[in-house]
Amino acid sequence: MRRTQRPDDFESRRAPLRELSDAELRERFWSLARLVVAPLVEQARTHTTPAIERSVLLRMGFSSAEAKTLVGRLHERGLLGRGAGRLVHELAQRHGLTPRDAGLALLEDRHWEELAG
Amino acid sequence: MKLRPDERLDLSELLRDLEHYRPRRRGWTWRRPLPDARIGPFRYAQVSEPLARSVPLPSAHAFGDIDPQCDVTITTEIASGRFEDDVRRMRMAAWHGADHIMVIRTTGQSHFDGLIEGTPEGVGGIPITRKQLRATRKALDAIEDEVGRPINFHSYVSGLAGPEMAVLFAEEGVNGAHQDPQYNTLYRGINVHRSFVDAAEAKRVMANAGLLQIDGAHNANATAKEAWKVTPELFVQHAVNTAFSMAVGMPAEQIALSTVPPTAPPAPKLRLDLPYAVALREVFAGCRFRAQQNTRYIESDTREATVTHVLDTLISRLTSADVQSTITPDEGRNVPWHYNNVAGVETARQTLMGLDGLDELLAMRRDGPLGELVRELIERGVLFLQEVLDQGGYHAAVESGQFVDSGYFPERRGDGIARDPEAGVGAGTVVPREPGYGAPVCSHFGANVYAESEGKACSAYGGCTLCDPTKIRYVDELDPDDNVERRLEAPLTERARGLLRPEVEKAGDGVVCVTLFVPDKPDVARAAGLELARRMGLRDPEVIHARVLHPAEGSVFEVKGVLDVALRADELVLPEQEARLPHAEIEAFVRPRNLHVVAATAGEDEHSVGLQEILDIKHGGIERYGFRCHYLGTSIPLERLLDAAEEYDARVVLVSTIVTHRDVHREQMRALHELATRRGLRDRLLLISGGTQVSDDLARGCGMDAGFGRGTTGQDVASFIVRRLREAPDA
Repeated sequence: MRRTQRPDDFESRRAPLRELSDAELRERFWSLARLVVAPLVEQARTHTTPAIERSVLLRMGFSSAEAKTLVGRLHERGLLGRGAGRLVHELAQRHGLTPRDAGLALLEDRHWEELAG
Repeated sequence: MKLRPDERLDLSELLRDLEHYRPRRRGWTWRRPLPDARIGPFRYAQVSEPLARSVPLPSAHAFGDIDPQCDVTITTEIASGRFEDDVRRMRMAAWHGADHIMVIRTTGQSHFDGLIEGTPEGVGGIPITRKQLRATRKALDAIEDEVGRPINFHSYVSGLAGPEMAVLFAEEGVNGAHQDPQYNTLYRGINVHRSFVDAAEAKRVMANAGLLQIDGAHNANATAKEAWKVTPELFVQHAVNTAFSMAVGMPAEQIALSTVPPTAPPAPKLRLDLPYAVALREVFAGCRFRAQQNTRYIESDTREATVTHVLDTLISRLTSADVQSTITPDEGRNVPWHYNNVAGVETARQTLMGLDGLDELLAMRRDGPLGELVRELIERGVLFLQEVLDQGGYHAAVESGQFVDSGYFPERRGDGIARDPEAGVGAGTVVPREPGYGAPVCSHFGANVYAESEGKACSAYGGCTLCDPTKIRYVDELDPDDNVERRLEAPLTERARGLLRPEVEKAGDGVVCVTLFVPDKPDVARAAGLELARRMGLRDPEVIHARVLHPAEGSVFEVKGVLDVALRADELVLPEQEARLPHAEIEAFVRPRNLHVVAATAGEDEHSVGLQEILDIKHGGIERYGFRCHYLGTSIPLERLLDAAEEYDARVVLVSTIVTHRDVHREQMRALHELATRRGLRDRLLLISGGTQVSDDLARGCGMDAGFGRGTTGQDVASFIVRRLREAPDA
């Protein structure tokens, strides 16, 4: 994309803002700012990342190293979109384990077939 | 762990049983204001609750050692690379008024995709790990008990591990953090999608744990070639982070804008920086303000840096600041040294105390250039936001290099930082959440099946670590060589043997700094300065500051080097320091005895202020105890002094000598002793001299009974007199 170069043409650009009161100008500022961030917030609401999933596993009682390995393997298998925490939690419930023990079982290469579906 | 003011921090105790240490609270704590306070002789309008222990400002001795504390939080940034050295510096800074300790991360941690464990040594900062955070928090808990004020601990939630870092901070009692996804994108080359998606989760965790968030807009000041021209964009960077934070659930009062007055003299600083500061506070009313000091233009001159920082702090007082951050005056030339952290903190608190109640005295004029410039800046910010949207939104604007362009928007020079939204570190790692996506934990942001259920998302398995900290997995060390225990072997052994080395940054570094003026041309003078430092025994001398005073007459240099000397503390000869006697005990001895004292400045010396303070009742002088004081005046010949002593049958002669030119003060002391001896008065008289250049050793060497230097009080002098007269045969 070509970079823009232009002189300071503020005086002509500001003309439409002149009629706004100070309060209206601030309101304009914030309404534009909210428009800028709205798609970013929506993307965050509907997406996840390995770091988010690791942070979920940390909160479920895993060490940083366990969380990193487990999330890495889930990511490789295309399972992160279901949520590492949910997969571990449901596996634990099915087997009557704590979430951490369920995760450790996965780290020992057990139960992966149950996650496939 | 409990600290004693007369003992150094016990690092072995600090590291003991960290596995079970729990922080005592979560979230940020503000100072508690004292409205309309009276402290010592003064009324204050902007102070907070006092400290239990502190080192007052230097001039406080003239006002009864008061130590008023300003109403704003004061930050110091500490990171030598070794947290075990930093905790000692934190303690010193806390005694000087810092209550927000910010720890810089080691180079490269933001690109580490995960958490680091253990205590490896860092470069330009600390690897932030659970053990390091926990040990530091434990130290700060003990330090806050010692000084009597909560201390906020702070680091960075950025890079590729933001959400995990936020969880770690919440779990370990870190109270504030930098979090701004724009920082990752613009300065760290991290993929923009990854940055913002991570940021939402991190911010939600921080919001729920009560952490104060500081944004990253100030980095544009430090990066832009002409920092004052980036101000319109700064409104936008602050707005993007603030609006995003609020949208993911962070309340405005937890959002602090990091703002730096962008210029330094000889630029007309206030005319440029004040309108910007005012405009920002108007647009972002309701948020907090973290006022940082300027680093962009300082280099090696600590005096220059200090003046700029005073002006920065003036702008904070003229507008507002919730947190006054400080920059060490040596930041332009090296990783900050212990005493420069304290210097930076003192610059801020000294300035803030001096400006107490400024609002009651001054109001800003909005009818002149200030009002026009405030309006103009906000309009430029609005135009910038409009252009972001016109380009197709934030990602497109970043791709086109709209940010950190050196033109004063809408001027564009085409040199901004451009980032491909689909590239960068961590590109391609953002995954869409499927319809059944779930995260059974607290403080999670976004679509989540567990968010729709009743109660806490984590209740099905007994609680997440934020609800049940016993579930936290503590990892001690991973590297058998690069860890704190290994690093401490040498310094702790030396400490146990009572060895002392000078230090600026790390235990035992031996670094000292000498100041030399050399009267020659700059290049000759520099070479001479280095050679002189070598001859002083300094290894690896390096000029860290040079300033030409005149191209031919000379230059001044600060030269650092290593003084490889370890002293045994128990072999040092310490001057005997007798404790002051209590007021009542002095008075009980003096009042019934009708003791006369004659006093004067001797010879040709017109300085009398110091002596008056020792004598006058209104200055806390010795008259208060009942001494009959006869002040003869200035430039009094010694014969007249002794005549008066005879006339009043005085037991004490106080003689003040300030002028030291050609050693006249020594001559006067010797002459007084000899004259008193010749006249047969010496046995009955206590001869005491005082002055800024006088020491007890020097005075005794010249025949006096005692000498008192700078900082002496009437109580010191009276204590000496009473002790000596008690031993006298006629006591």
